[in-house]
Amino acid sequence: MEFFQTNIIPAEVVVQILAFLIVFFTLRKLAWKPVLESLEARRSKIRGEFESIEAAKKEIEALKAEYAASLQKIEDQARAKLQEAIDEGRRISREIQDKARLESQATFEKAKENLAIEVAKARISLRREIAEIALDASEKVLREKMSDDKKQQEKILSIIEEMEKAL
Amino acid sequence: MEKHEALANATHDAAHAAAHHGHHEAHELPNLLAILKEHFPDLPGLDFLLQWQNIFFSALAALLISAVAIRAARRKSLIPDSLRNFVEILMEGIAGFVTGILGEKHAPKHIPFLGTLFFYVLFMNWFGMIPFMKAPTSAWSTTAALGLITVVYVQAVGIREQGFAHYLKHIAGNPSTLVGWLLLPLMFCLNIILEIIAVPFSLSLRLFANISSEDRLLLKFAELNTAFNYMPFVFQIFANCLVILFSVIQAFVFMLLSTVYIALLLPHEHEHPEHDEASAHAH
Repeated sequence: MEFFQTNIIPAEVVVQILAFLIVFFTLRKLAWKPVLESLEARRSKIRGEFESIEAAKKEIEALKAEYAASLQKIEDQARAKLQEAIDEGRRISREIQDKARLESQATFEKAKENLAIEVAKARISLRREIAEIALDASEKVLREKMSDDKKQQEKILSIIEEMEKAL
Repeated sequence: MEKHEALANATHDAAHAAAHHGHHEAHELPNLLAILKEHFPDLPGLDFLLQWQNIFFSALAALLISAVAIRAARRKSLIPDSLRNFVEILMEGIAGFVTGILGEKHAPKHIPFLGTLFFYVLFMNWFGMIPFMKAPTSAWSTTAALGLITVVYVQAVGIREQGFAHYLKHIAGNPSTLVGWLLLPLMFCLNIILEIIAVPFSLSLRLFANISSEDRLLLKFAELNTAFNYMPFVFQIFANCLVILFSVIQAFVFMLLSTVYIALLLPHEHEHPEHDEASAHAH
């Protein structure tokens, strides 16, 4: 009890309690709350920023994949179109070749026909000329002398035959 | 050398001064007020301050903490400067520690009280080591005040969080069986003694005894310095290192125990039945 009495001064205890309460309420209002709140705000801000970065990253990844896919698609399309163009070119060249072949055939046939016509024409005109020559010759023979008729006729006939054979 | 002698003389005189006032014998280094008393005994108001020296130095500690903390708290910017950063580290450390014991739900309400308690006690402890200062926690009146505040705070938290009926039931030892009800008066008295009377005693005596011992230690080591003239300050530096460490430990223990007392009076969570079961088995 003596220890208690020498060491405890009631008034001092009361003043110390008041002092601590003043410090406590002051610091709670002016230091702890603002600092802890700002720490929490900063924490949530950083968390939010990290989350948004993560989201942006994911978005970029998705876009990248999308671009890669569309690029692949475009490439495939280009390749298909190129192939189509090559096929078309081949087809056209084949058509042109076929057409040219047909045309040349037709031209050839026509030329052949023309040639035959020309030959026929020539043959007709030749015959006419021969007939004229024969007439001329017969005239000449007749004009020379008609002594031995029979002999002369045979001669003329043989000449005509020879001419025909020559044709 | 002269300084040490002066120190020893001052100590001696302070002892005389203290003896005159009848408070206690000299068992700590002389503080500013004692030295002033020695040199200017007739200074007006000095006797009053000497009589209330614990409150004087407590107020200094309170002003110091408040000035630093409020100054730091006022600097609001996204990127904190060095002072703000330092204060934030300290506050966040305390907040993290308290949250670890009380949990996310209850901790935020009690962090300011426990944190203020820690830093207030810590600075008062350290004052014993700073030249011309005195550790107010080396007086039982100071630590008794802190102990009383803590026990009132803890019991108030218990009543508010559990409700008065549950709180009474807790004090009565949670009687559920016949034996429990028969033992109710005994348990009631026991719990009153354990939780309301013993707590401030244990908190305040522990802190008071430790810090006054530290002060005696500082004084004895200072006397050793004056005794061994060829080793100035070696003992003092050693003692200071010990005091720095023990002051932190004592302030921390005070806060830790207060936190645990609060945790014991919080309503028991039934969200983790397996955990409760495990702890019941452990008991």
